[in-house]
Amino acid sequence: MMIPIQDFLLLGALRFGLGVIGVILRRNVLIVLMSIELMLNAANLTLVAFGRARHDPHAHAFAFLVMAVAAAEAAVGLAIVVGIFRNRRSVNLDELTLMKH
Amino acid sequence: MSFDPAQLAQIAPLLVVLAGGVFLLMLEAFSGSRNRSYLMPLTVIICAIAIGLELASWSDAAHGSRVIFDGMLTADRLSIFMDCVFLTAAALSAMLSAGFMREHRFEHGELYPLILFATGGMMMLGAATSLVTIFLGIETMSIAVYVLTGSWRRAPKSSEAAMKYYLNGAFSTAILLYGIALVYGASGATGLAELGQRASVLGTQPIFILGMLLILVGLGFKIAAVPFHMWAPDAYEGAPSPVSAFMATGVKAAAFTTILRLFGTAFARPELATGVVGWANILAVIAVATMTFGNLAALRQDNVKRMLAYSSIAHAGYLLIGVVAMGVVGVEARGPVLYYLVAYTFTTVGAFGVVAWLGNRGDERLQIDDWAGLASRHPAAALAMTIFMLSLGGVPPTAGFFAKFYLFRIALESAAPWMLILVVIAVLNSVVSVAYYLRVVTAMYFREVGREPQPIRARGMSLALVICAVATLAIGILPGWLSDLAALATR
Repeated sequence: MMIPIQDFLLLGALRFGLGVIGVILRRNVLIVLMSIELMLNAANLTLVAFGRARHDPHAHAFAFLVMAVAAAEAAVGLAIVVGIFRNRRSVNLDELTLMKH
Repeated sequence: MSFDPAQLAQIAPLLVVLAGGVFLLMLEAFSGSRNRSYLMPLTVIICAIAIGLELASWSDAAHGSRVIFDGMLTADRLSIFMDCVFLTAAALSAMLSAGFMREHRFEHGELYPLILFATGGMMMLGAATSLVTIFLGIETMSIAVYVLTGSWRRAPKSSEAAMKYYLNGAFSTAILLYGIALVYGASGATGLAELGQRASVLGTQPIFILGMLLILVGLGFKIAAVPFHMWAPDAYEGAPSPVSAFMATGVKAAAFTTILRLFGTAFARPELATGVVGWANILAVIAVATMTFGNLAALRQDNVKRMLAYSSIAHAGYLLIGVVAMGVVGVEARGPVLYYLVAYTFTTVGAFGVVAWLGNRGDERLQIDDWAGLASRHPAAALAMTIFMLSLGGVPPTAGFFAKFYLFRIALESAAPWMLILVVIAVLNSVVSVAYYLRVVTAMYFREVGREPQPIRARGMSLALVICAVATLAIGILPGWLSDLAALATR
């Protein structure tokens, strides 16, 4: 039985929405990073679902590229979190207020 | 579909920059000496070689646009022109960095390779003719710039700026990617030219429109357009000043190049541009919000660096008028945008450069009071800053005046009444902006010295400031040749 493409797209949209809500509402940097990963995953799922529906291998190749790039981005993000933690022993976004005017 | 190694020659400048970055990284890691002063000249030389290669291919690029790697990249005159802008910004920022890092004791040699990698990303972005390469270029550029922002590790402000920039940047990338996925799903194409052709069949299919709007939001973050600007003041203020200069010019110019290509090629159809949810209409509203907010916020800043950050938001608003004009009058509106980007690059690098130059160790001297009486101690630097401030405000005979003049002129060519309103708002905004730019000038010339300035003494820094000041004046006094060149680049 083939799962229809709408299901994939719906799941992708839901995950993307959850990711956006997580980024906006959560204040712990690590949770926000995970939410961003969720959004990237949702985009990737959508891409692959469309690629399968269109029988287009390019979309799958693009999805792999996205994964590689997302991994690089996450590595840099975690390094920045470590830098923040070293400076102030906290990963709460609400405490990043050195430059509020 | 096949890989043709001969096409590598057409992206030689990009390869030189990326290979140069790797080379410097290795050199820095494996050279025994603690002395890092050779890295800056090498960076500038690599940029100069790449510019030379770009210029050598300028006349070749006239014979039709060159398609590279099955339409992933191109090497047309638009990309050559913008690559030179990115490389110039990179070289000038590197020249500013050397003295700045030595003074503030964070001589990390990785800074120069990172500048080159970011520049490579920008060049990829400038040449990208496919959604895939646009994504790759944006990420290559952004990831390197996140690290650059946080490179002053001991300064808490710097890592905080990096965090905010990173979170907003990664968030916008995810939105952009979701938009790309939807556009691909609706059309089955990722190449910009192909998308442009299929758009006529697709018309205003909701998924396609939604994807286009999400891409617009993602790019809106990169150019710091209101309401996607909230990261920009903190990121520009917290980053080391030479990096702020690079971010405000290179990153913004690269994002604008993509916007010009994407919306001028893939989404160029009138129903997509000026339809009910057309991007030109949306961008017109965003342009008004961006310049008005940027200027009003800049007015009440006492911190010169933060003022420049808000002013750079305002300039993104002016630039968006050119993009809107492109939706209405067509691709010839790209020329004034390119001219503006060149003028803005030299001026902004210069302004952030003077900010970087003035501070000394443990004391960045960012408040406007710290600038009081600078003209009596360092007349040359005060003169350079005055040139930059006048140019940012759009006062003749500086580059900023003609940049605004050409931009508003092309916007008025459309004869649509709402374009006239847009230009009137922009002119009012530039009048307001002169007020806060002149505040710096009056502080330098008409106030007594408070604390004695002890600026950084570095030859590279002085040279970069002289180049920026001379270029800002030269472009302003002889605007014709650059305007012709920009027009050629967009044909």
